Amino acid sequence: MFEKIFDNLKDGLIVFDKENKVSLINKSAKEILGVKEKILGKSIEEFSNFPKIQNLFFLLGKEIKEVFRKEIELGEGLVLEVTSIPIFEEGKKIASVVVLHDITREKTIERLKSEFVSVSAHQLRTPLASIKWSLETLLRGGKLNEYQQTIVKKAFSSAERMLTIVNDLLNVVKIEEGRYVYRKTPINFEDLVKSKIEFFEEKIKEKQIQFEFRILSKKLPKVKVDPEKIGLVIENLLDNAIRYNLIGGTITISLDLKDNEIEFSIKDSGIGIPENEKSNIFQKFFRASNAIKKEPEGSGLGLFVAKNIVEAHGGKIWFESEEGRGTTFYFTIPIK
Amino acid sequence: MKKKVLIIEDENDLRFFIARALKEEGFEVIEAFDGEEGMEKAKKEKPDLILLDLLLPGISGYEVLTRIKKDPELEMIPVLILSNLGQQEEIERGLKLGAIDYLIKANFTLDEIVDRIKKILYSPK
Repeated sequence: MFEKIFDNLKDGLIVFDKENKVSLINKSAKEILGVKEKILGKSIEEFSNFPKIQNLFFLLGKEIKEVFRKEIELGEGLVLEVTSIPIFEEGKKIASVVVLHDITREKTIERLKSEFVSVSAHQLRTPLASIKWSLETLLRGGKLNEYQQTIVKKAFSSAERMLTIVNDLLNVVKIEEGRYVYRKTPINFEDLVKSKIEFFEEKIKEKQIQFEFRILSKKLPKVKVDPEKIGLVIENLLDNAIRYNLIGGTITISLDLKDNEIEFSIKDSGIGIPENEKSNIFQKFFRASNAIKKEPEGSGLGLFVAKNIVEAHGGKIWFESEEGRGTTFYFTIPIK
Repeated sequence: MKKKVLIIEDENDLRFFIARALKEEGFEVIEAFDGEEGMEKAKKEKPDLILLDLLLPGISGYEVLTRIKKDPELEMIPVLILSNLGQQEEIERGLKLGAIDYLIKANFTLDEIVDRIKKILYSPK
């Protein structure tokens, strides 16, 4: 009975004994791995030259390491999600259970979805460029009265917002496909931050924000980053700090050197993040309820993109916040 | 003397807006709808700069760029790519083929594009 259940499972299952030799293998696992030979009682290493077992061997190693939902490709487009659980008795490992879950279909759907988003986002750029340039041509003509100008400017900034969403979506697709290219070059972090502050100068003035930029360490070494992507992180954080701040509020950006890391922080006196929504803040498309109330427009992608960029640089991103008092976002970039 | 800019762009509206903005800034503008027409006009008019779209009917912008850079009479003309494609690979391919710069249309205002062209044409080499 037990054997029948074991064999009829859709997922592949392999049990290794305490010597890391195969003690049980079900039908699905044999099919997935393409083994017909007797594998029972043998170690995975003996099969490591089998094309389909090779990558599994690389993942698990001789000693059948513990693994949680790691994706591997087995060739011919077959993608598996592998979990390996060690089983202990009195502190000693007595067996490992390996589950092979076929996620080829999910992967295909994910790829198609990414392609769809990417194509439609690209298609949107042409009419958006046309809208932007039409409005700009009207403004350049200089024949509009003040009231008309205000309206055309509003339309222009809406087109710009939409473009930001399109670009964010394209970034998300690239992140999800794992091909968000990082071209790292050594840069002066301080200069990068300054250029981004300059970029937002007008908005800061418009909101009458008291702005401060502090460098807490004597000398900051150069860091190797993708300047465009890290620039985007700073832009997103600064944009949020302004957008969700009050008129006449404060923003302080600090740079510091801490244990071989550059720490960037941005403190605002804005609306803050509600306690029960804090755990969702880096999720794709998530927007805090008070943020939606204050600014109905927004993609909910800025922090998701920021987190992925920082982590791809080996850094960390986090925040402290109190609703109604303000938020401080931090991120670090290791110096290598 | 007025500087001559050739715009190779198949979207009529977009071509109209760029042409207008450039004329307002004192440039002479020549327009081409596709790659074939673009090559023809480039040879005849010898513009000072070429604004090139990548997705064109018929021969692609990459092909146009390749042909320009192979032609001893045209190779010196700076080519500025203005496209809505914006993947890293596409940008790199364009620059490798010899484009002087690569701008994503929707991300730039007309003012910024005109400024970029002026910088290319008037900065000392």
